[in-house]
Amino acid sequence: MADFLFYLFAALTVGSALMVALNRNAVNAAMSLFLTFFGMAGMFVLLEAYFLAILQVLVYAGAVVVLFAFIVMLLDLDNQQRKPVGKLTYAAGGAAFALMVTGVLWLFCQEQLTSPALPAEASGSVLKTYGRQLFTTYLLPMQVAGFLLLIAMIGVIVISKKTTAAQESADAE
Amino acid sequence: MPPETLTALQEIAATNQWSALAPEITLGVAALLLLALELALPKRLVAVAVPRVAFLGLAAALALVFKDWAAPLFGPELFGGLVRQTTDSQIMRVFFLVASALVAFIATVVLPKHKVPRVEFFHVLLVATGALMLLPQSNHFVQLFVALETVTVALYILVAYFRTSPFSLEAGLKYLVMGSLSSALLLFGIVLLYGVAGNPLLAGHTAQAMNFGELAAFVRLNPEHPLVVVGAALVLSGIAFKIGAVPFQIWVPDVYQGAPTPVTAFLAVSSKAAGFALLLVLVRGPFQALAHVTIPLLSTFAALSLLFGNLAALGQRNVKRLMGLSGVSHAGFLLVGVVAAIAREDAVSWAPAAVYFYLFTYLIGAMATFGVMAHVSVGDDADQDFRHYAGLARRSPLLGAVLACGVGSLAGIPPLAGFIGKLLIFVAAFQAHQWTLLGVAIVAVVISIYYYFGWVRAAFYDQGSESDRNVAPIHLGVAAGATLVALALAAVLLGLYQGPLGQWIATR
Repeated sequence: MADFLFYLFAALTVGSALMVALNRNAVNAAMSLFLTFFGMAGMFVLLEAYFLAILQVLVYAGAVVVLFAFIVMLLDLDNQQRKPVGKLTYAAGGAAFALMVTGVLWLFCQEQLTSPALPAEASGSVLKTYGRQLFTTYLLPMQVAGFLLLIAMIGVIVISKKTTAAQESADAE
Repeated sequence: MPPETLTALQEIAATNQWSALAPEITLGVAALLLLALELALPKRLVAVAVPRVAFLGLAAALALVFKDWAAPLFGPELFGGLVRQTTDSQIMRVFFLVASALVAFIATVVLPKHKVPRVEFFHVLLVATGALMLLPQSNHFVQLFVALETVTVALYILVAYFRTSPFSLEAGLKYLVMGSLSSALLLFGIVLLYGVAGNPLLAGHTAQAMNFGELAAFVRLNPEHPLVVVGAALVLSGIAFKIGAVPFQIWVPDVYQGAPTPVTAFLAVSSKAAGFALLLVLVRGPFQALAHVTIPLLSTFAALSLLFGNLAALGQRNVKRLMGLSGVSHAGFLLVGVVAAIAREDAVSWAPAAVYFYLFTYLIGAMATFGVMAHVSVGDDADQDFRHYAGLARRSPLLGAVLACGVGSLAGIPPLAGFIGKLLIFVAAFQAHQWTLLGVAIVAVVISIYYYFGWVRAAFYDQGSESDRNVAPIHLGVAAGATLVALALAAVLLGLYQGPLGQWIATR
């Protein structure tokens, strides 16, 4: 059963990820992205990392994709002219893909990668352990991440704020 | 208070030695203070107070670094293994503080020429400096990645800071895309290493593989495992993006050209130095047992960077693109030093010190040059080329002299600091038996003198056309002049006399 579910979610994730890249319509691509995240959340459930699964659905499938869809609709990108993809780009993309597949196949032939199934143990599965770690062991990175979000917010304001001529001259004084 | 909370608090108190990070905390507080000042002070005072508070914050942080230079806080590991302070990390903290102070100085020259907000620039700069200082102290991939992302996000903002300039926006977009790609590579590498080190079937497996010490122990037992090799290669590639080494240099010229001059200086000096500090931490820490991977990989990067950077810079007349492409070749020289540091670790134990010395000479030369560029620029500073330097020595002899010292140091002309920096790297490469790299590096020096000299020639011998000759004289403030002279003097003095610094390198 678990095997079947794994293949189901894997197929869902990879298939919808392909749709994200190949779909010409930006809204459909965003919706495919939602399915990708949903498939990944399913994988996390199979790994018994329930908390991560919930976060994946809430934050990525929920907030982030809604944001994408919102921006796509706001910008109305559907009628944009597309630049045709050159032959060289196709060739380079094909070569890169072939190299990647060869590399992964080679890795699997090394036999060091195959190992019997082992019980997964996700430390982030219980909300309490997760929170405890965040506020004890990883307090420093969390504080730094706080500053990261602060400058990201300020940066968005600086780069996108509409300034009137009066404000500009006041700032430039 | 419930006992559980109490034990949690005790746990925090036992593992979080915040006083060791007093300089970084000072910078964070100063950054927040800037935002509060803009709210509280009247508009006229803000323009005066903000750069001064920023400089004060940097100076206070520098004083705090020196105060605890070799304090007992130098335990093996702080914050439960997240942070590890060494002499190397102390040197890099000083480096980033000095570099940021000079970037702030260039910003005080450039920002008033443009209608852009000021406070936010210094705020983001201070936060980025704090994060940069955390990087060489990290001993844990979580800490490393969070600090690196803070620096990267700060740079996304700063590169696109002149948002009315299409060049700046283009640079911002390109840096955003390429920076995200490099972060993704780095993260993928980290995840692969973490995953393979947690495999209970392998010798020395550990659940704490994000910690450099634990990972090093695991890698020593499994140096040939394909996932370890791929993971390490991906991590090194992610860092190669940051230092702009070939083949990850594609973003360099456009981003350097479009970014505001102080930000270009920040990218060229601090961002590159951060990459090398991390590289030295990684190749001598977790990847120590992977010399069979790191040496060929980094040697290839080094040789390609040296050749590509210099050949591409040859035909370049835009000075910011020139600094970018020559920066690629400087990354090549530094990579030669890193390779020497791993190739024969015991024989050339001073090679990392030579890399740090080179970084300092690059700091001096590049900041002097960018300081002059900030004064010469008029209007949109993305299109500055050799034409604008015609007759510079006549318009402002001081700026001409500083430019000659800075550019000469970057080129490695004998009496200047850059020459000693290159010499140390070459001796290290020689002693480490890296003959091929040494040969490539010497060819690269010869090529680089040509285009650097072209710039100096424009400043000293070109008279410029009639229209260029009529431009207004360059206004040079007293403080700005003094800073530039100090940089030029440092370039000369450090070339003639290394004093205790040279002894320190020799005894490493």
